[in-house]
Amino acid sequence: MITRLLLTTTSLAALTAQAQRGLKEIPDPDPVKQQAAFNLPEGMEIELYASDPMIAKPVQINFDSRGRLWLVSSGMYPHITPGAEENDRILVLEDTDNDGKADKRTVFADDLHIPTAVLPADGGAYVANSTEILFLKDTDGDGKADHRRVVLSGFGTEDTHHLVHTFEQGPDGMLYFLQSIYIHSHLETPYGVRRLMGGGVWHFRPETQRAEILSKGLINPWGFIFDEYGQTFATDGAGGHGINDIFPRSVFRTSPGAQRIVDGLNPGQPKLCGLEVLSGSHLPEKYRGLLIAPDFRGHRINSYRLSPDGGAFISTRIDDFLSSSHRAFRPIDVKMGPDGALYIADWYNPIIQHGEVDFRDERRDHTHGRIWRVTFKGRPLIEKKDFSKATIEELLACTLSKERVHREQARSELRARDRSEALAKLTAWSSTLSDEYEQMQAMWNHQALNDTATGLIKKLLASTDARFRAAALRVVYHRHEELPDAAELVAEAINDPNGRVRLWAISCLAQMPGPKSVPTALQALDHPMDQNIDFALWSIAREHQDHWAPAFESGKPVFGDKLSHLIFAMKALGKSLSLASIFKSLEENTLEKEEREDAISIIAQTGSPEDLDRLLDLIATEPTILTPLITAAEIRKIQPKSGQEKLLPLLKSTDPTVFAEATRLAGLWKLAPAREVLIRAFTNTKSAQRRAAAAEGLRLFNDEETIAFFYQIAGGDEDEAKRALAVKELAKIAPGRAAQYGVDLLMQDADGKDPYDLYRSFLQNPKASKALAEALTGKKIPSKSATLGLQRAGTTGRPPEDLMQALRLAGNLKPMAQKLSPEEMNQLVERVRQEGDPHRGEMIYRRADMACLTCHAIGGVGSPIGPDLVSIGASAPIDYLITSLLDPTDKIKEGYHTTFVEEKNGNTHAGGLVSQSETEVVLRDNTGKIIRIAGSDVKSVTISPVSMMPAGLTASLREDQFVDLVRFLSELGKEGDFKVSSKAIIRDWVVMQPHPRTVDQYGHYGAAMFADRFEGDQWTPYSGKVNGELLPTELPKVRGRGNAAWAVARFAIDRKGPVTIKINETRTMHLFEGKKEIALPESGPAVVEVNGSKDPHHFTIAVNQSARPTPVLIEIIDP
Amino acid sequence: MKLRLLFLSLIAAFPAAALSFKDNDTVVLLGNTVIERAQKYGHLETALTLAADQPNLKFRNLGWSGDTVFGHARSYFGPPEEGFRRLTADLEELKPEVVLICYGAVAAFEGEDGLAEFLKGYEALLAMIQSTATPREIVIISPPPAESLPPPMPNLEAHQERLALYAKALGELAAKQQVGFADLFTTLGSVKGLTENGLHLTDDGYRVIAPKFLEALGLPVPATLKSPRAEDLREAIVAKNKLFFFRWRPANETYLRLFRKHEQGQNVKELPMFDPLIENAEQDIEALRTSLASSQK
Repeated sequence: MITRLLLTTTSLAALTAQAQRGLKEIPDPDPVKQQAAFNLPEGMEIELYASDPMIAKPVQINFDSRGRLWLVSSGMYPHITPGAEENDRILVLEDTDNDGKADKRTVFADDLHIPTAVLPADGGAYVANSTEILFLKDTDGDGKADHRRVVLSGFGTEDTHHLVHTFEQGPDGMLYFLQSIYIHSHLETPYGVRRLMGGGVWHFRPETQRAEILSKGLINPWGFIFDEYGQTFATDGAGGHGINDIFPRSVFRTSPGAQRIVDGLNPGQPKLCGLEVLSGSHLPEKYRGLLIAPDFRGHRINSYRLSPDGGAFISTRIDDFLSSSHRAFRPIDVKMGPDGALYIADWYNPIIQHGEVDFRDERRDHTHGRIWRVTFKGRPLIEKKDFSKATIEELLACTLSKERVHREQARSELRARDRSEALAKLTAWSSTLSDEYEQMQAMWNHQALNDTATGLIKKLLASTDARFRAAALRVVYHRHEELPDAAELVAEAINDPNGRVRLWAISCLAQMPGPKSVPTALQALDHPMDQNIDFALWSIAREHQDHWAPAFESGKPVFGDKLSHLIFAMKALGKSLSLASIFKSLEENTLEKEEREDAISIIAQTGSPEDLDRLLDLIATEPTILTPLITAAEIRKIQPKSGQEKLLPLLKSTDPTVFAEATRLAGLWKLAPAREVLIRAFTNTKSAQRRAAAAEGLRLFNDEETIAFFYQIAGGDEDEAKRALAVKELAKIAPGRAAQYGVDLLMQDADGKDPYDLYRSFLQNPKASKALAEALTGKKIPSKSATLGLQRAGTTGRPPEDLMQALRLAGNLKPMAQKLSPEEMNQLVERVRQEGDPHRGEMIYRRADMACLTCHAIGGVGSPIGPDLVSIGASAPIDYLITSLLDPTDKIKEGYHTTFVEEKNGNTHAGGLVSQSETEVVLRDNTGKIIRIAGSDVKSVTISPVSMMPAGLTASLREDQFVDLVRFLSELGKEGDFKVSSKAIIRDWVVMQPHPRTVDQYGHYGAAMFADRFEGDQWTPYSGKVNGELLPTELPKVRGRGNAAWAVARFAIDRKGPVTIKINETRTMHLFEGKKEIALPESGPAVVEVNGSKDPHHFTIAVNQSARPTPVLIEIIDP
Repeated sequence: MKLRLLFLSLIAAFPAAALSFKDNDTVVLLGNTVIERAQKYGHLETALTLAADQPNLKFRNLGWSGDTVFGHARSYFGPPEEGFRRLTADLEELKPEVVLICYGAVAAFEGEDGLAEFLKGYEALLAMIQSTATPREIVIISPPPAESLPPPMPNLEAHQERLALYAKALGELAAKQQVGFADLFTTLGSVKGLTENGLHLTDDGYRVIAPKFLEALGLPVPATLKSPRAEDLREAIVAKNKLFFFRWRPANETYLRLFRKHEQGQNVKELPMFDPLIENAEQDIEALRTSLASSQK
């Protein structure tokens, strides 16, 4: 039954209704049982602070200056029922007798519509209410809001778990809030309209009503915090990059139209909702300063340690803060409380979000919800203060408290006081401070009162501690208009020895567009660079182009004699500007290798046909110009004005890359004298790679002569590979004539491997797929081949129904008569539970023919094409996993929809969107291939409802194997063997492929050759098992002396200075750092210390896989 | 040239011809934030309901924050032009007899440079409305004036001048296109203490300007507007507007009608369930209106 079911490939629509069937065991909502299910580290205690029916469905919690807990509660989520009232609430909880439990509840508001955030401040509360942000106030003291005004409106509601959310008050007194991927917001402000498509972070100053965008992108970010020094970080509830460093104008994944993004700090982490910095004297020392973020799918709270690294940060995942085995524990917000304890908002729901489970599913919980309170045994709490009763002097003193919660609440309360009085007292008080940390707090106090403390800013800019300098620049960023010498201060900071300070200087310059902003910013190029700085420079060069590009064009020496600055700016802009100075340096040969490559690429990227002429003169000595010239021809549709024949000698090259690029260029240029050369190469070469290159070059001529040539080959009696190649090329330019021969070849493909990749060629264009469908009429092809064809067709973004039907007929595939009935699904789920073996399942997952590894990573190790599966088992019920394997299109994760591009000539492409601009659209297809499409060729770009994951991938599995595979997936992220460890275990490897010369080289160099001799394409990516094991027998067999088959692998440690690594078993193992061999014991475990290079470490290991099948496990131990 | 200028200024000088309503008219209110938020408070619609003095009017507020004559704010995942298509489809479905349009507050930030494009877009919008719905009445309404609040709020005097420029151009456009023109900008003159942020009217702001809004449209200000029972009518209108909003611009569109509808499209069946609720609410409105009108007589 199941085997038949797995063979079918049409949509199992009936399964949709069965979503989350695995969720039959609704957990017991008794809080005592839930409390018993916590798994806590030594010394930690957890208690129930509040529970249903006192509260329900908490979405965000925040404390006010009186120590009361405010929570926003939505029972309406996910969608209003017709006829129902809007009745979501803001609740205020108090612990009046200080026993750690809430004993008083006030309903502040009860007529809201899926509210997603609340922040008590400014004498009332800001509330996110679907399309708007409201300010509610209680003016008569009865605890209920009686005054309401709209602060901002125009937020989208396209998805109710993406609505404007996550309020945070900055130390600057501004309100920060976030929105997520499906939301499109259009806010009218007194400064103009502000639009944000997709995710991002906003900041808003209530006094001036100015709302601006701080950062764009991220999928569903519900955590946002300031660290002790005013740097900002976010987590993403649907993205897997752990902690994200939010600096101004940063752009992250999935921001619509983004041409470039920055990555988060922990690729491969579980999805996180909420974020807090642990602080305060109640917590044991080792916890303070850590970031914690709930992994709401995995029922646990993760911890991260941040350390500065130039302009960026390194984030290291450490041991879990806590975890629970209760399946309805959904921690979604964490906040330090007024007593120094940590408070956790537990949304309490067996079902998370609403994409996959029906809005009206009866198992959705609308009534429960908990607030948990975490304390530590034997440690005193901090004093709970009521700041509403404090004098201004007391408030100021408290902004220097060693307790962060006191500092924040005192500062927030200051805003609610008479401003002129507060400001006068603050100014006098500030002048008495001499400690820099205290001055920073005072600087923020001023900013919180919407005032600019020029003196303090300047003092902190002169600090020897870079953290204060960076904090001061953050104030300059927002208030430069009130600082008369902001430009000079920032110009100095751009050459700061610290990368983070330089990054902030660039951000400040981005706020101050002018003729000097870009030239000044680019001075950062003369210092060490990193991802953030490179991004910020690229961004400002583009944003401020009107301030430097016209001046440069008019002959002004905008960048002085800094050619590298000019090249950077021009590359960033990607537009045609005067290339005179670049040509001069190139032709006088005054450039370093890297600059030279940049110079060439910028000419090809922006130059005119005449410029390309000049570039072509270099071709004999500089074959690296081929790639940029191809890009110019394909994307910009330009070629050199004359002199194309200079390419001809390169068609004789024996270097396969040069040959391939030269043939492609010859075709793109339709270089007549090249045709004969290519035909000869196609006909005579013995190398398949070379022949394929020649064929592509010929096809690009795209004329009758070429068509006739391919047609003759395709129908001739040449060998099969040659005919297949001709058919493929023909499919692209004359599909009608290719189809019949294509069918002939498919008829031979008994094992359904499509060795020539014919299906993809025919699927690239609707005319070609139609032609193939017609040619299949009345023909029979092997069923395996037809199945593969259906898989391929199913992932094209717009599956061609005619071809799919033709394949079913020709392959004699039964139409989907059998659907998985509810009973069958139940049985299957039960079998997975009872019989599935996750260890066997992992080995099936790793099989090459399953192609799982081709698209998915687990914990950041593996391919970025599909979603990271690190916590899929902890979040998705078994029936969801089964449905996703059988019918991938049924459920598609946010951010993983297929983008479908149609070209004006009818060609179509499907894949994940990498970037999109007017110049080009870039996709990554489901084989990982990057596809670039010229903007001028694009007819439409649409989001396709079809998954990139082919249906029927599991068709070849036996029933028991399928059950094992599902069991493995269902264990991922749960406590146990299939949770990616927070230890630093090496899982990301490259492995060496066999090479004919290893036997010979081994004779000369011994095992040292592995570290020294073979480079480049010789190494391919390899992912270790979930527990980190590398299996020697899975690796390619590299021959050494005699019968020895070596497994050779490399890894890198992206860290400078000494490291200690632990190896599980050294038998037959060689270990090299760089080229230097490190002595290991004969056998047994080993701990090796490697002492301090200034560069990141690169290691090679080799083990004799025939003599030692034992897995290899290597861990980095923290110094 | 001189003649034309004279001609135009004459038109601008005359009050707008009175707007007429008929039994059962569907009246669409179209525009940006000022229109969108009007549905929430209901003062303008209450004034119109009473001034129109016709039974069974159906008001449909299609205001959208941040929107312009190009409809771009109405687009979701497609290109900006998708928003205009969405608006076209909405009008196609509603087939309004009366369309009141208030755009220009967003575009005015572009100043003189943006005016030509704005007017061109406005013409395209009018043409679309004509061809999609062939309404009996179209009225162009100039945007309300801006208010300069005390520092640290920004001084909006420059914006006020830009709004004046746009308001004048809208009068000329209405004459050229032979549609109605309500010069709300001029009728309101300068506003004080009526806005949240210098641009957007408060609840009380809408209440205060409602009579002037009628005046700009050439409608009489009914005495009933000040009746305490007009407040009941307003509440009924606000309740109806909410229902229409849930029906017309539902949350979760991605799942109900767009590219994830294969997951939750089954729930789109709930949207028409709002129709009888809206109908009921409109019966309440009509009952209140009739009772108010008869008390007047």
